[in-house]
Amino acid sequence: MRRYGHFPLAEDAVQEALLAAATQWPRDGVPDGPRAWLVTVASRRLTDLLRAEQARRRREDAVAALTPPDRWLAPAADRAVPESDDTLILLFMCCHPSLSPASQIALTLRAAGGLTTAEIARAFLVPEGTMTRRISRAKQRVKESGIPFALPPGPERAARLGAVLHVLYLIFNEGYASTSGPRFQRTELSAEAIRLTRVMHRLLPGDSEVTGLLALMLLNEARRPARTGPSGELVPMAEQDRTLWDAASVTEGVALVTEALRNGPVGPYQLQAAISALHDEAPSAEATDWPQITALYAVLTRMTDNPVVTLNHAVAAAMAHGPRAGLALLGELEADARIAEDHRLHAVRAHLLEMTGDHTAARRSYQAAARRTTSLPRQRYLNARAARLPDPCAPADGPGPGLDAGTPDTR
Amino acid sequence: MKYMILTYGSQQDYDGMAGQDTGTPAWSAEDFAAMGAFMERLNKELEESGELVETRALAAPVHTRRLASRDGVPVVTDGPYAETEEVLAGYWIVECESFDRATEIAARLAGCPGPEHVTANAYADVRPIAETLADLEL
Repeated sequence: MRRYGHFPLAEDAVQEALLAAATQWPRDGVPDGPRAWLVTVASRRLTDLLRAEQARRRREDAVAALTPPDRWLAPAADRAVPESDDTLILLFMCCHPSLSPASQIALTLRAAGGLTTAEIARAFLVPEGTMTRRISRAKQRVKESGIPFALPPGPERAARLGAVLHVLYLIFNEGYASTSGPRFQRTELSAEAIRLTRVMHRLLPGDSEVTGLLALMLLNEARRPARTGPSGELVPMAEQDRTLWDAASVTEGVALVTEALRNGPVGPYQLQAAISALHDEAPSAEATDWPQITALYAVLTRMTDNPVVTLNHAVAAAMAHGPRAGLALLGELEADARIAEDHRLHAVRAHLLEMTGDHTAARRSYQAAARRTTSLPRQRYLNARAARLPDPCAPADGPGPGLDAGTPDTR
Repeated sequence: MKYMILTYGSQQDYDGMAGQDTGTPAWSAEDFAAMGAFMERLNKELEESGELVETRALAAPVHTRRLASRDGVPVVTDGPYAETEEVLAGYWIVECESFDRATEIAARLAGCPGPEHVTANAYADVRPIAETLADLEL
């Protein structure tokens, strides 16, 4: 090492010298100067390695000289990756029902996605060693399950496709609205989810739910630049600077969801994308087509048994028909154990109460919501809403509240 | 050698950070953002020097579940702490050459921005980590 530099190569050379010693010494006996012997063998080996390295460089230069200039660069991230039915099979295997959602996500990102284990570990805030084991256990499990490397048969296929879309949506949301820590967004996860969903869409262009999911991601992602303020605080949709929304993503998302709804059959992702499109196309919160959004949520509620959908339905109903209509829908949720203690229910009730002018009750609900979330930025937002409520006796002037109950997780 | 740096806070401190007046003034948006930026910078530096093993912040004490055993049956108590009781709020595990270097890192926390009544009373502990049973017996 001291003599030659090249740390990694020197390490390899020493390894090989030790290996040679382990095979030769028991056979031929230990040489007189074992240390000198090792240094000599390692030096010779290092010379070989350096020559091989030089030869490799020459070969690479030669190959590079023969490569046309347009192929010198790696393809851009948004260019089509070489894909085939194998990618689809791989995604089906990564989202195999024998795996837990955490394992499905990790395996999908590692095997089908373009992230390294270290990057996945960082995105999910776990030590790299833990993520390595999670991924290798998942691989082992898929192997043990004995499923062949093939597309699942007809009847099973629809259900398995649903699982793949769900995992992609979870990855997107993990990046879009992080559930933990002071940082709200982890862009690379959302970008990876969109990339993989694009691949799915290219492979299954006729599936309206795949198209719907891609549209939904693009339409939500379009609002990302406006979602956080200068200090990283969450900005509700009603208060976002709409000029920051990404017009290209909106256009693409709207075109996709229009195409999907025309081809049918209609599914939850398309409905959510249609709702997101109505938001993205509205010039302001007040000018949003709330009656249409309310109608879409009513259809979505019938299609999925998900309390967060009902919560969003209540928000839309309040905007379309007044806060009392929204509060009536919230009444149903109070008995639902899945959401009764969720900060989102209390936050929406607080907003609606604020709209009715009942500031005392609104303040109490904002505080109840703040107590129930562990996210400090969200707590700060809710406490600020509570604190800025005017004197309880003053008349209400009914500002458009920040209505962003969160993304419903429809399966 | 690994060391753990521990910081403490009460429910009242957390409420202040969450923007509530609790007898003492709440953190402003600028205070809160400055703290976030400071922590991010410190953690990045420790990551780059190769000394950071891991660091975590804990949610408010009110979200604690305490488990005890009554006649062999686990019993859960929610939020067992008093409002002003100081409990673990966050920690860093660093791997560095000496106790003094770990102390130097912990001393950096004194530079963390915040409202004066908070910074005036803040403190941190540094404790060597026992990696094996043998370490414990020393």
